[in-house]
Amino acid sequence: MNTTTAPSRIKVITGNAAAAIGAKLARPDVVAAYPITPQTEVIEQISTFHASGEMDCELITVEGENSAMNAVMAASLAGGRVFTASSSWGLVFMYDAVLAVAGARAPVVMVNVNRETPGIIAVSSGQQDMISTRDAGWIFLIAEDCQEVLDLVLQAYRLAEDHDIQLPVMVHYDGFFLSYLSEGVDIPEQETVDRFLSVLDDQPRRTALTPGQKLGVGSHGILGGYMELRHKHVTAMERSKDKFEEIDKEFAGIFGRPYGGQLEEYRTDDADIVLVGSGSMCGTIKSVIDDQREKGMRIGLVKIRMYRPFPHQALVAALKGKKGVGVVDRSLAFGFEGGPIYTELKAFETRLDGTQLISFIDGIANTDITKTNVEKMIQMTRDLADGKDVPEVTWVSYPEANTKGEK
Amino acid sequence: MAEKKQGRLTKVLDYLKHDDPFSKGVAFCPGCGLELLLRFIPRVLGNDIVITGTPSCSAPVLLGQNNQSWHTLSYFGTLMTGAAANATGLVRYYRKAGIDNTVVCFNGDGTANDIGFGNLSGAAERNEPFIYICYDNEGYMNTGIQKSGTTPFGATTTTTPYGSVHKGKNLRRMNLGLKMAMNKIPYTATATLSDLEDLAKKLLKAKEAKERGFCFLHVFAPCPTGWGADPADTIEICRRAVKTNYFPLWEAENGRIRMTKTVKKPKSVNTYTELMKKFHHMTEADMKVLQDDVEYEYCLLGGLSVLEAECQLPVSVKDQGDAS
Amino acid sequence: MSSNHYFKHEGPWSDAGDPLMCTDTGDWRTKRPVVDKDKCIFCGFCAIYCPIQVMEMQADTHFEANLDFCKGCGICAKECPKDAITMISEGEFVS
Repeated sequence: MNTTTAPSRIKVITGNAAAAIGAKLARPDVVAAYPITPQTEVIEQISTFHASGEMDCELITVEGENSAMNAVMAASLAGGRVFTASSSWGLVFMYDAVLAVAGARAPVVMVNVNRETPGIIAVSSGQQDMISTRDAGWIFLIAEDCQEVLDLVLQAYRLAEDHDIQLPVMVHYDGFFLSYLSEGVDIPEQETVDRFLSVLDDQPRRTALTPGQKLGVGSHGILGGYMELRHKHVTAMERSKDKFEEIDKEFAGIFGRPYGGQLEEYRTDDADIVLVGSGSMCGTIKSVIDDQREKGMRIGLVKIRMYRPFPHQALVAALKGKKGVGVVDRSLAFGFEGGPIYTELKAFETRLDGTQLISFIDGIANTDITKTNVEKMIQMTRDLADGKDVPEVTWVSYPEANTKGEK
Repeated sequence: MAEKKQGRLTKVLDYLKHDDPFSKGVAFCPGCGLELLLRFIPRVLGNDIVITGTPSCSAPVLLGQNNQSWHTLSYFGTLMTGAAANATGLVRYYRKAGIDNTVVCFNGDGTANDIGFGNLSGAAERNEPFIYICYDNEGYMNTGIQKSGTTPFGATTTTTPYGSVHKGKNLRRMNLGLKMAMNKIPYTATATLSDLEDLAKKLLKAKEAKERGFCFLHVFAPCPTGWGADPADTIEICRRAVKTNYFPLWEAENGRIRMTKTVKKPKSVNTYTELMKKFHHMTEADMKVLQDDVEYEYCLLGGLSVLEAECQLPVSVKDQGDAS
Repeated sequence: MSSNHYFKHEGPWSDAGDPLMCTDTGDWRTKRPVVDKDKCIFCGFCAIYCPIQVMEMQADTHFEANLDFCKGCGICAKECPKDAITMISEGEFVS
């Protein structure tokens, strides 16, 4: 058990409440609020904090998510710290502004409570909304449990507003499985958070839209100018990998909770089979790994915390030489057979020194990724490592998809 | 018989207290109503306004190119879908940070009435403290003259062209100003370029009223290129729009409508449409539809303004809450 | 690392502290306004209605167009209450 260096208190709260408290502790100037299941409690909590005076911010109860992102984009470019929250359809409704925020390099921080974005109305779990927006140019971080939701919100502000980075950050956490789940969360003291974030005050001020200063934002990039902007964006994203590692270490030192940076490697050192996952499924996977370890299985988990930029260097280092790797996706990659994270990782397969990858699709449409499912995934990955014939893609909870011969 | 040098300089010049922040050589069509309006606003309101602009005819001038600008104003170039929401974010942050500001959210009719209407409505409902100016050239002009929600009945555009089956727009235009006034916002007004003193006064009134919340100005700005008019006629078109009651001039403080110019003997709308090719295909029956519609709207406005005068609505009621 | 060649800032900011851009719009016109000084009553209508505001006061006697930027729209001629302005084809001025 780590001893914390900073005073705090533990409360049993939901993931949504943890996000709201994280935002409150960060002291944003402007918050935009629009409800959508399963995020609604986040903005309800913030509204309560605002009404009681606990949160001294401008709360804009917008008439749609598109306005929510547009409002926080402008407030951010005017120099303010901002926050908003959304999910699935709300996220894609604000998508034009999401792209504009990234292109304008506005350090917006938001939480996205993962929910499906199917062609039909489905109020159910899945990371499809994250996958639908992965090319926006934002930094994407994923939380495993309610504690990490709060912690990632705080880390997100340090990352987004860092003068070297200036990129928007979206913290994802599973709707239904984390949003409504109550867990014990260690809530840091305001003073400690202020100290953690005050590092930003010592950095140069970013460019801000102020009346009378003859600066304008939203200028057209023409030819070389456009390419220069895009190159700056791409290089900033690359820099954010190391920056996130630094921030995570600093966070561990102050708050006593080390997470491992871009990835958390759980019992992977001597593992020959590894599962790669993200979000709340990792809790279950870790629990099964512990069981299997007791039986002598050398198995580990690589948990992806930073999904964008894609941490390929860290993943290659963690997975190189493993006998079998099963990538668990809680979403689909249309146009590909395997899941999205699997497909992205596969691009680096040649750097893995012979490690083989297979894809598991599970946990969509409110299906639980149960311990039994995880055991099945581990068994199949074991079979892969043993050289047996294993399908490349398996829909763990929907056997109809796995009929041999149908592609 | 006036002596040759007796003329007095127009009073409008007194309102142009500030410098023109725009470069002299900018890409607006000759005779563009928008150009006149865009230069006019900061000369009246000051060069320290923060102006937001969207893809539109104003974008190539309001927004910069790489590091360079066409003007010295602080600007925010953004998307049509979120213009009023962007302005909301700005004023809320400035309020939090205690920064004095006049934010002008400057949009065409396409943004205001169509694609950006949702957030315009939201900003009005929340009574956000900024000035929203809609320049109405009755169409999406920057993309080459397409129909918008304020394009009038009968007008030809590239999406409502004249063909053997369909002959121009067969729908009436929407009245943006009335929609806004009905929410009792601190200040709503219509204005146009033939009555520049009226426009200047309304701009100044809006600047003062925005301390209390949302202000909306609907400015009629002809597009000679898109309307098939002689560029020299731009101002005359505005004048006739007012004289035929096609575009009446009124203002509303907290929803209390009053006409700022009463036309005693309005001319038939033909005297207005004859100046623009976009109407020239219309039959007599079409013109009657247009005339009836113009009279309907004027009647409505007139009725509301009389009602206001007769009802003597209480002044002490807090008409609109603070955006909070 | 990226360069700051086209943009001075990390994001898409433009800086009006730099010289403003300017197009040679005087090149566009096909006719130019010619003011009859004797008819001009110095009312200023041409100045306020000119979209580019190129009508400049000549002492306090009359107005004249700055031909560097006049686009030749003809509004000044149309609005002048004394018909003191005539639009003359540019062809007349080609030497």
